[in-house]
Parts: sequence; structure tokens; C-alpha cells
Amino acid sequence: MFDNIISGFSSILAIGPILGIIAGVIIGIIFGAIPGISAIMAIAIILPMTFYVDPIIGITMLLAVYKAGIYGGSISAILINTPGAAASFLTAQDGNALTKAGKAGKALDMSLFASVTGEMLATLVLILVAAPISLISLQAGPIEKVFLLLFAFTVIGSMAGESLPRGLLSCCLGMLFAMVGMSTITGAARFTFGYTELMGGFTFTPMLIGILVMPEVFNVIKRRLVPHHEMTITHSPNPADNRISFKEFRNVFSTILKSSGIGTFVGALPGLGSSTAAFIAYGEAKRTAKKPEEYGKGSVEGIAAAESANNAVCGSSMIPMLTLSIPGDDVAALLMGAFLIHGLTPGPMIFFEHTEIIYAIFAGFLITDLFLLVIARSGFKFFVKMASLRRYYIFPCVTVFAFTGAFTAGQNMDDILVLIAFTVMGYGMRLVGLNPAVFIIGFILTPFLEQNLDQAMSIVGTDYYLFLASPFSWVFIALSVFFVFSSMRVKRKTAKATASAENKTT
Amino acid sequence: MDRRKIDVVLSTFLIIVSLIILTNNNLVEGGAESDLGSMFLPRVVAGLMIIFSATIAIQSLMKLSKGTKIEGLELISTDGFSGILIYIGIFIVYWLAVPYVGFLVATPFIMIAVAMLLGGRDWVPIIAMSVITPVLIDYGSKEFLRVYLPTWSF
Repeated sequence: MFDNIISGFSSILAIGPILGIIAGVIIGIIFGAIPGISAIMAIAIILPMTFYVDPIIGITMLLAVYKAGIYGGSISAILINTPGAAASFLTAQDGNALTKAGKAGKALDMSLFASVTGEMLATLVLILVAAPISLISLQAGPIEKVFLLLFAFTVIGSMAGESLPRGLLSCCLGMLFAMVGMSTITGAARFTFGYTELMGGFTFTPMLIGILVMPEVFNVIKRRLVPHHEMTITHSPNPADNRISFKEFRNVFSTILKSSGIGTFVGALPGLGSSTAAFIAYGEAKRTAKKPEEYGKGSVEGIAAAESANNAVCGSSMIPMLTLSIPGDDVAALLMGAFLIHGLTPGPMIFFEHTEIIYAIFAGFLITDLFLLVIARSGFKFFVKMASLRRYYIFPCVTVFAFTGAFTAGQNMDDILVLIAFTVMGYGMRLVGLNPAVFIIGFILTPFLEQNLDQAMSIVGTDYYLFLASPFSWVFIALSVFFVFSSMRVKRKTAKATASAENKTT
Repeated sequence: MDRRKIDVVLSTFLIIVSLIILTNNNLVEGGAESDLGSMFLPRVVAGLMIIFSATIAIQSLMKLSKGTKIEGLELISTDGFSGILIYIGIFIVYWLAVPYVGFLVATPFIMIAVAMLLGGRDWVPIIAMSVITPVLIDYGSKEFLRVYLPTWSF
């Protein structure tokens, strides 16, 4: 493994990948910091541009956008109390309180150091854990893979949806749309209704931009009358308030370590995502803090806990994708699509078939953290200025980039129609409580399920009991049932807590 | 807008679509024989969709029949919807116009229209941005991505 890591570093330390990482970090921070634009939007818009470059450059650039975008969300959270990403909600509470107290520099510094530390630790775990897990998952045959995929559908559908039936229905819709076009197994044309344009199925990129990106533009247009907030960094006359000292960082280092651990663990589980990680880590840090009453009112430790946890998810969410072919959240689903477009099938075989590329990507992950630290630290003012641009400068550009991105995928105007149709559908799904990210995960994983199910049927023939002969099958069935019931319990508890909180306030 | 009513209509629609998938054999054409069959998985998914849609519809119907008050997410705010409809219209015009007038001609007008929709009135920077951005994208696509965006075809 050590040789592979060294070889990965030698591949990544070239002009192309380094420029890709720098561009990715800058784009990610800017997009993440703009309220209304998230990292996922940035990745989806940048994705078509990476089709034509080497996978090492393209994928590392997308990962840099992802990491920097998650961090960028904390800038608007701290300065104007508007989280650029949902996971920065807690950072907004403590960070904005510090900004009001004239300590914006301290909050931004802590957010950056905690983000980079959390990401680095999670990346190290990813590098050390992914290859060994892939060796275990290589033992799985088609039958085990069918149960693994069913487990993934159940967990993601039940955990990520607004309610259990809505989450699972989102997944089913994604699966149904994935089956439009020529079947890869039988060659039959399904749901094409005589239209030859549908034989190849729905083009992934326009659909992705339509479902995940454009509805965010709709949201901005819907709120277009809300006044624009200018971002400024407040400066205190006391220099100590404008930065984080080594002593302050050392004092919160144990919290960062613990929160990074929580973020890494949560990120490795499918369906939970960075917001959950941030909330759990923040709660745990507050529970064990010496001054818990400061949390929510400008606690540096609170920022450290939330930021290190939500950034640690970036690295560890790659673990299920690279070892089991299961994207844990929407961003991982998008990145899985990017891997597939670049001819790399995420899964245990990737460590054997594309060893050099995958370790170069890992090395790129680590180097991205260093670039993020340097670029973000030296360019706070620039990023704040860029993120303060008025929305009538930003969203016309987003519209054109979405159009170009959708066209670039197949160089076909029909793809623009796909983009428009899925944009409306994606927004409609949000309105009725269906989860677009789960839809995308269902769409991506269905071809794998069908292929493995067909192979499994060939293996078992008419002896259907063989489906349940492997202990893996039972383990995944048990895990699926456990996750469904635990998600139902959690949602019921949350509903009760919300109801009682509302009763108290009225 | 009451989301529970939309739930009932949408679930009914999805149940009808699922029933068509379950019963109609003309949704698949050609293909080789396989152990699984081309319509096995679509029909399993359709069956599951009936269950989940029915669950959502029943829950919403029960709340509607009891006359329960609308809670947070069940209330869909329609403020600003007109802007969304205009934006969709702009995008459709963009899609229709580009094959005829080309990317470089259509894009500045579309960008100005979207900027106006979002309340932009600083004409000089908006026009400058609307002209420079498509030129840069067109040049970048051609030179770096080898993608040729549609050009004037009259």
C-alpha cells in the first residue's frame, strides 16, 4: 500500500492535477460561500468540463470543489448568518455571534483550521481503510451484491427521506427512470414508446443538473424580493480577536479529534450526510464542554466541533462508494457518476484495475487540504467579495453554465429538453417532500442491481432458497430491517419533540 | 397550497402508472430471453410504488378527513411562483432559439432576461457580463473541450 501511495503522490504532483486542484479549491470556496449555491451545484456544473481531461485531473478537481465547497459554506454562515450549506447551520450560530462581537477573523480562522484538520484525518482513514474493506467485499458474489444493494436502497431511502414512504418512493422513481431505454441484459427497449431518442435512456448529466442544481435556482428566483446581504469581515482593534492563537487551537484540538472521528463514522454510513455529523458532534462537544452555556453564543469550540465533523464526512463518504459501490449521499452519488463517466467503476475492483489512478486521487485528497488551507487563508477578502456579488450577476451565469453543461454531455439539443423536464420534476419533488438525492442514487444503482440479480438468478436456477443460503444475505436483511425500524423511531421521536416544543412556545 | 391534496392526486397518478406497468405487455419491445426477463424489475418497482404511494395517500386522506390543521411542510407557499414560471419560459425560449440563432447570439439576451427577472438594473455591468460570458464559454468549449456550441443557421 505504501508503494501505491508514493506512486499516487508522484502522479498528482504534476502541473495538470495541481492546476485542477487549485481551480477546484477556488471555485468550491466561492460557490460554497454564496448563499443559495451549494457544493453539489458547483460539482454538477463543473462535471461536464472534466469529461475531456485525464481522470486524475478531472476527479481530483471535482473532489477539491467538494471539499472547498463544504468549507466555503461556513464563510457566509459566519459573516451574515446564512449557511451556504445546510451543514453549516451550527457554525452560523456561534460564528455569527463572534462576528457581531467583532471577532470574525477568529471565527473564520477556527472554521478553516477545524475543516482542514477534520478532512485530513478522514482522508487518512479513507486511505487506510478502503483497500482492506475492498478485499473483504471482493468475496461477495452476485447474490450477496443483490442483498447489499437492496440494503443500500432501504437505508438511503429510509434515512434520507422526509418520511419513510416518501424516501422509498423517491428511490423507486429513480429506479424506474433508470430502466427507460435499452436493457443492458436483454437488449429490449423498455418504456421508449417508439421514440428512438429514448433508446439510450436519459442522459445522466442534464438529468443530474436538472434534478439537483436548477431547483436551487428556482428557490432563489422565488425569493428574489428578499433584500441582498452584503458580507464584510469585522475587525477588532485587539489583534488577538482577529486570529486563532496556537494555544487556542491546542485547547480545542481534542474536540476537533473527537468530532472528526464522529464525522468520519457518520460519513461512512450511507444516507446520513454532513448535517447529521455536525449535529451529533456539536451535541457531544457541548455535553462534555467546560462551558456549555457558551455554545450557540459565540463558542470557538462549537465552531471547531461542527466544522471538523461536517468536513470529515467528505473523506469518509467515499468509503462505501469505493469499497461497496454504494454512494452514501447526494454528493457521493454525483461523484460516482463522474467516476463512471471517466470509465472508472467505483467498487472493490477499482483498487486492482486502476491502482495508480485511485491512489493518485487519494494523494490529491491530501494535497487539496493543504491548498485549501493556503488559498482560503490568504484570500479571505477576495472570497468574501466574490460571495457578496448580487444574485443578478451570479444566476444568469449559472443558467448559462447549466445549459452548456447539459449540451456538452451529448452535444445534442434534446438534452436541453431533458434538463428542463427534470428541473421541473426536481423542483416538484422538493415541494411534495420527495428526496431528489435519493432519486439520483436509485437511478445510478439500478443497472448494478439488475445485472447482479440476473447473474444471481442464473446461479440459483429454480432453487430459490439459495438466495438465503449465504450468511451475508441474512446480515443485510437484518441490517435493512434494523435501519428501517430505527429510522421510524428517530422520525417519530423528532416529530414528538417538535410538537412539544411548539406547544411550549404557544 | 395544501400539500396533502397534492399528495392524494400525485399518489393516484403514480398508482395508475404502476398498474399500467404491471398489466401492459407492450411497454417492452424485442430483446433476448433471460432468466430474469426485461419486465421483472420494472414490475417489482411498480408494485413497491403502489405500496408507498398508497401509504402517502392514505395518511394525507386521513388528515384531510379529520380536518387536521396544516403543519409546517404541508403548507406550500406559492409566493414568487410567477417568477419561476417566467424563468421556465425563458429557458424554453433559449432551447428553441439556440439551434437557429446560435449560442453566441441567444445567450446575451437570455442572461439579460434572467438578470432583469432577479431585479438587476445596473445595465452596463449586466450587458458587459452577458456579452463576455458567452464569448468566453464558446472559446473555452472550442479550444479546450473540443465541443462546438450551436451557431447561426439561417
